[in-house]
Amino acid sequence: MPETNEFYVGYLKSPRTLTVFLGWAIPSLIVAALAIGWLVSRSQNDPGDGVWHHEANTLVGRVGATPYPLIRVPSKSPGHAAETVLLVSEGKHGGGERVAALDGRIVRVRGTILERDSCRLLELAHGDAVKPDDSLTAADTGRLAAPIIVALGEVTLRGEIIDPKCYSGAMKPGEGKTHKECATLCISGGIPPMFVTIDAAGRRSYYLLTDPDGRALTGGALHDGLLPFVADVVEIRGTLERRDDLQVLRVDLKSIRRL
Amino acid sequence: MSVGYVSVQWNRHKRIYDACVAGGIVLYLGVFFAAGKALYTGRNAISGEILAMRALATCAFLMLNVILCIGPLARLDRRFLPLLYNRRHLGVATFLVALAHAAIAIGFYHGFGNVNPFVALLTSNTNFTSLSAFPYQTLGLFALLILFLMAATSHDFWLKNLGAPAWKRLHMLVYIAYGLLVMHVALGILQTQRSPWLASLVGVGVVIVATLHLIAGQRERRHDERGSQLSPRAGEEWVDVGAVDDIADQRGSTVTVGAGERIALFRYNGCVSATTNVCAHQGGPLGEGKIIDGCITCPWHGWQYRPADGRSPPPFAEKIHTYRVRVVGRRIQVDPTPLPPGTAVEPARVEEVQSA
Ligand code: HEM
Ligand code: FES
Repeated sequence: MPETNEFYVGYLKSPRTLTVFLGWAIPSLIVAALAIGWLVSRSQNDPGDGVWHHEANTLVGRVGATPYPLIRVPSKSPGHAAETVLLVSEGKHGGGERVAALDGRIVRVRGTILERDSCRLLELAHGDAVKPDDSLTAADTGRLAAPIIVALGEVTLRGEIIDPKCYSGAMKPGEGKTHKECATLCISGGIPPMFVTIDAAGRRSYYLLTDPDGRALTGGALHDGLLPFVADVVEIRGTLERRDDLQVLRVDLKSIRRL
Repeated sequence: MSVGYVSVQWNRHKRIYDACVAGGIVLYLGVFFAAGKALYTGRNAISGEILAMRALATCAFLMLNVILCIGPLARLDRRFLPLLYNRRHLGVATFLVALAHAAIAIGFYHGFGNVNPFVALLTSNTNFTSLSAFPYQTLGLFALLILFLMAATSHDFWLKNLGAPAWKRLHMLVYIAYGLLVMHVALGILQTQRSPWLASLVGVGVVIVATLHLIAGQRERRHDERGSQLSPRAGEEWVDVGAVDDIADQRGSTVTVGAGERIALFRYNGCVSATTNVCAHQGGPLGEGKIIDGCITCPWHGWQYRPADGRSPPPFAEKIHTYRVRVVGRRIQVDPTPLPPGTAVEPARVEEVQSA
């Protein structure tokens, strides 16, 4: 072995050749790391255009507790008499108890709006966020009398079971495998489960998921039949109907399978 | 070395090392976060918490890859030894960065619900039989526990109390942690990420780590195989292990005799001595060390031993195995039976033999 004095001991002064080597090797390593950081950061998925409007908002309409907490408000678009906004609470909690007592009444709800495409939710503010109200015109009240239901028959769909709160902007992204556990927690906490499909042109359609009788999915059906498939790419079968502007899918839980 | 335990022994190199590590981490996180904020804007902005979680995650994973490369790199090219010198600080830093990642994940993804976040982490996904739906976060949890165990026992206090072999075995768990983390990423983010970059980089990392280990391992194996052909001639305890002139003055070399431990040979001041190649600290290769101030100096962290008796100079108390050695002509011969650690052995005189 040729004699070199290049020998490094941490507590002694380094040989000069070694200092020179480290002088370029370490900065190069750090620069390479920064390049990787930039590359990985820019190759993240687009998180979608869901948005959470943080300014306080109020809606007046007919509140419903079934299948899930929601409010139907007079529609601004000509196609429908009423528009539906799902009601949820703060964090990963549904709006359940807070609307049950007023089911069917005309109310004013206070909170913040989350929306993505046609999917809209209102997160109820703290405290007294749902109050009876009589400011609607008789005509509007009439338009909200009962939802207009159109049966659309059996369908088989491919897409993803989502918690619409995160998906619509509470978390960006709020979908896919990395979001699976979070979405499971949201749905088990009372956020209504929804289904999203994306067509060839990239347009998303949203379906509210209920049991075969059109009621909320709860208990064992929810926990064993639906939650294991949240956020996965799945195929799902059920009976479809339109209630006002909302698509509701009565799910055959046994039909759900991962693709 | 081990005279009482200062929390961490500092010197200029460790400070520079740590400054590079800390600076590198801050710069990496800054670049990742700023790029995420600049490239995804308006309605399509990524949540700050998720950006931070990802910046920390990829930083820790990258650091782990670097840590795993340092060992074999230092064996293949001695110029990388300075990176090995303070590797444990890099390990502790990796744990802390990973911990911050996990804390955000647990708070954000498992918090705000009707279940304790730690319970949620373990219970909200139990699809252990599905690959695509696998609870990848539990893999991260186990890896984090391993990193914690290693960081917590990284100080020489633990090395001493667990004993070097047990400590070494414990720290071998890093390979299990690495495997768990590759799966944490593969079954997590890679199930949804559309861009192939992250997947490719993880793949390149795995290939580099594996290749470096294979090359370094193969080199040592070849060295040992050459040694395994060495054995004493019948009725003799002495084995010829090479020429004096193959070892530079104040330097060492390594031989393996039969299936025995590697033996380190040193040439200094007209003498040759033989000791075990295994440093009492973390098993560093003493034969690749150097004689400094009359002592064998380990290339890894600079622990020292007197060549003639394998003992650290006072006030230190470490001892290593020594071997009987003699020089015949210009050839070195050793008796491959290790003597108890710290046994004094008369160094073989090179010049005397030459003149005889
Ligand atoms: C309790 C422990 C852990 C939990 C709960 C956890 C959770 C997560 C979650 C939720 C994600 C997906 C983030 C997202 O993209 O939305 C993720 C990704 C990741 N984690 Fe962990 N993790 C843990 C431990 C670790 C450890 C110890 C490392 C070590 C380096 C690590 C490295 C990564 C990497 C590299 C990714 C992919 C980065 C990305 O999403 O772009 N994780 N982890
Ligand atoms: S292994 Fe640490 S000094 Fe030898």
